[in-house]
Amino acid sequence: MFNDSLLAMSEISKAYTGIQALAGVNLDVREGEVMALVGENGAGKSTLLKILAGAEKADSGKISFAGKEISINSPKEASNFGIKVIYQELNLAVHLSVAENIFVGREPKTKIGLVDFKKMQELANIAIKEVGLNINSNEQVNNLSIAQRQLIEIAKALSEDARIVVMDEPTSSLTDQETRILFDIILNLKKKGISVIYVSHRMKEIFEIADRVTILKDGKLVTVENVKSVTPDAVVRFMIGRALTDLYGQKSLKTGLNLKPIMEVEGLSSEPYFENVSFKVFPGEILVLSGLIGSGRSETAMTLFGALKRSKGTVTIEGQPFHAKSPMSAIKLGIGLLPEDRKKQGLFMQLVVRENMSSASLRDISRNFILSRTKDISLVTFFSEKMGLRSNAIDVAAGTLSGGNQQKILLGRWLAKKPKILILDEPTRGVDVLAKSEIYKMIREISDENVAVVVISSDLMEVLGIADRILIMREGKIVGEVQGNEATESKVMAMATGIGV
Amino acid sequence: MNIKSVTAKKIFQTRELPLIIVVAGVIAALTFLSPYFFTSGNFEILARQTGLALLISVGMTFVILTAGIDLSVGSVVALSSVIVGEFIINFHWNPALSVFVSLIGALLVGYINGLFTTYLKLPAFVSTLGMLAIARGLALGVTGGSTIEGFSEGFLYWGQGKFLGLPVPACIALVVAVLSIFVLRKTVFGRQVFFIGSNESAALLSGIPVRKVKIATFMIASFLAGLSGVLETSRLGVSQPSAGNGYELVAIGACVIGGVSLFGGVGSVLGTILGTVLLLLIQDGLILLNISPYWQQVFSGAIIVISVSINLRTGKIKIKS
Repeated sequence: MFNDSLLAMSEISKAYTGIQALAGVNLDVREGEVMALVGENGAGKSTLLKILAGAEKADSGKISFAGKEISINSPKEASNFGIKVIYQELNLAVHLSVAENIFVGREPKTKIGLVDFKKMQELANIAIKEVGLNINSNEQVNNLSIAQRQLIEIAKALSEDARIVVMDEPTSSLTDQETRILFDIILNLKKKGISVIYVSHRMKEIFEIADRVTILKDGKLVTVENVKSVTPDAVVRFMIGRALTDLYGQKSLKTGLNLKPIMEVEGLSSEPYFENVSFKVFPGEILVLSGLIGSGRSETAMTLFGALKRSKGTVTIEGQPFHAKSPMSAIKLGIGLLPEDRKKQGLFMQLVVRENMSSASLRDISRNFILSRTKDISLVTFFSEKMGLRSNAIDVAAGTLSGGNQQKILLGRWLAKKPKILILDEPTRGVDVLAKSEIYKMIREISDENVAVVVISSDLMEVLGIADRILIMREGKIVGEVQGNEATESKVMAMATGIGV
Repeated sequence: MNIKSVTAKKIFQTRELPLIIVVAGVIAALTFLSPYFFTSGNFEILARQTGLALLISVGMTFVILTAGIDLSVGSVVALSSVIVGEFIINFHWNPALSVFVSLIGALLVGYINGLFTTYLKLPAFVSTLGMLAIARGLALGVTGGSTIEGFSEGFLYWGQGKFLGLPVPACIALVVAVLSIFVLRKTVFGRQVFFIGSNESAALLSGIPVRKVKIATFMIASFLAGLSGVLETSRLGVSQPSAGNGYELVAIGACVIGGVSLFGGVGSVLGTILGTVLLLLIQDGLILLNISPYWQQVFSGAIIVISVSINLRTGKIKIKS
């Protein structure tokens, strides 16, 4: 037992000005083992991983690696030990090619010391194949989807003689199909005796791929369990200190009744993203747009919202023809959109929560173009409370909050507009379990107030859990529709991938 | 009310206070080093110069807050100076009307800058670099490179006279600065400027008219540069096509010293005022200390680099990764 332990971090403590991020935490990883690391945001996972990666220094504690006590003082040292960390925020140089990214800093050289591009491409192609990607290694990273970039990061780590690969929520932007590929890669790593530290919020994945699970709460180690001898419910209970009942809430039974649609989309196209998309949205329902990444879901939403140009098609809202030329005109007609990438498209990171939340409501909090501080504060306080954000937090920079709270700011931004149609693109990406359940509850409440909610999601459990109705997109077209209570995993996947229909 | 005073205090403490201390320190040092510094004569010169420079840096603040830049302001100073000279002296127009025409010209330059950056999607650096050359070339071309003189007393008052004991350009700059503080902090437009600078995509998806706001910031920058050009013409009693050479760098420097981030979304007019005052104090001090003007730029440059490093280490909000 003991002799095959590859990494042992023991009694690790770390405090930031006044906050004890970690207090005497142990993490033990055996050779060829997949160790899941779970805990809510703020439980100390990131800090622990940063210490392992050499990005932060522990205040106290020991790290031993392959039986020897070591100290890790920089990311480079960690990498030299074979500890490779794949962060959630990808660290690729987007203007360089895939091959250049994989071999950055260790490019193969020709005899006279120049970069051997030919060799680099060959090696890169092998590395890319290994992670199941079917792209050219000359492709600029810019042109790749987030999922593809994630796989490139993994390819990069694997090509560097890894002994431990740390994956920080690797599936948060992957579809189920891509997740399968990732799991195959992980199984392969295990065979080679490479260990994996797998950070995820998704119980289903942990129970499928991990051998053991380390659970942190409030900077302390709760327990380490064998996955075989524990249930998902028990893990969640360890994580949040209570049972997580009814994650998704009660489904609406209104859909399918003789309601008038609030929005009708007819033959909408925006090449090359999607074409000839037609569907109806009813008030008070949660309609999920499902499909693989790149199937045109987000682009359809962006087009309805006026952020992408439409080439063909008509949209009517409450029977009136509607053509959003800009998000401004869409918002005026009662549409809200929570974008896919909350950091790039949603938040003003340096600005405070209050400014972030009222950014779409400037007209409502001003008179004659002059802002009213009182109106601003009362609006934001009201919706902060509704979203379960602490109201004394409205004057802190949005960038300092956790992913879940950031998402709540953005939801609050749109609730404040009282939209008729609310489009939510990946509303729970990178959000912890507790915040997730709160967001689901909120989505249900919004739809109960007769708002039509359109959710785009790559998380199949989420799709099945919250949808009243599911539309499935594939390669820019709508290929199927399923009622929420009749949907199964295999039904939706079959339509999304086009396999086994 | 309580929250208000607490946040006001907080902002003051974190951002502008170090700069206020530096400015006070420089004033104390210069008082000690030169007997001419702490005299009403010197203060009057200082106030006049600072007023003219401040107009330009305040305009620049609007543009930089949206993560843009305007390199053409120095040339706009020349262009407006030349327009006002041509109309008053050569066309015998009414001075007020001539000033009006000149300021409309400046606004037009800003509008074109804005169109190029928003609709043609040129980087502001490029479109305004082009405008830097074009506006300067126009000023030189129209005058054939020569200066225009012979303005009336009434016109000269605006640059040389005093109002309530303060040089008129300083009064005007003060009014503009106070107005700008109000606009940036209390109006919808000001909020939108910060949104665009902080995250342009997010601003667009919040329904903010990004293009219009950006064009407006370029027009403000150009208008204030034009106003400064007219006042400088009046102060010197001569309109010259070579006026305003390098003013864009002083303005950008003043913003940056004052804590306005070149990446947009962070900064204040108060910071810009302090930055401008600091740069002009140093200029003034070096003259009084008999240090050759050739060396002045070395000092200005060093101050820019030093203060930005300090800003980066202290004043900024830390963002969780």
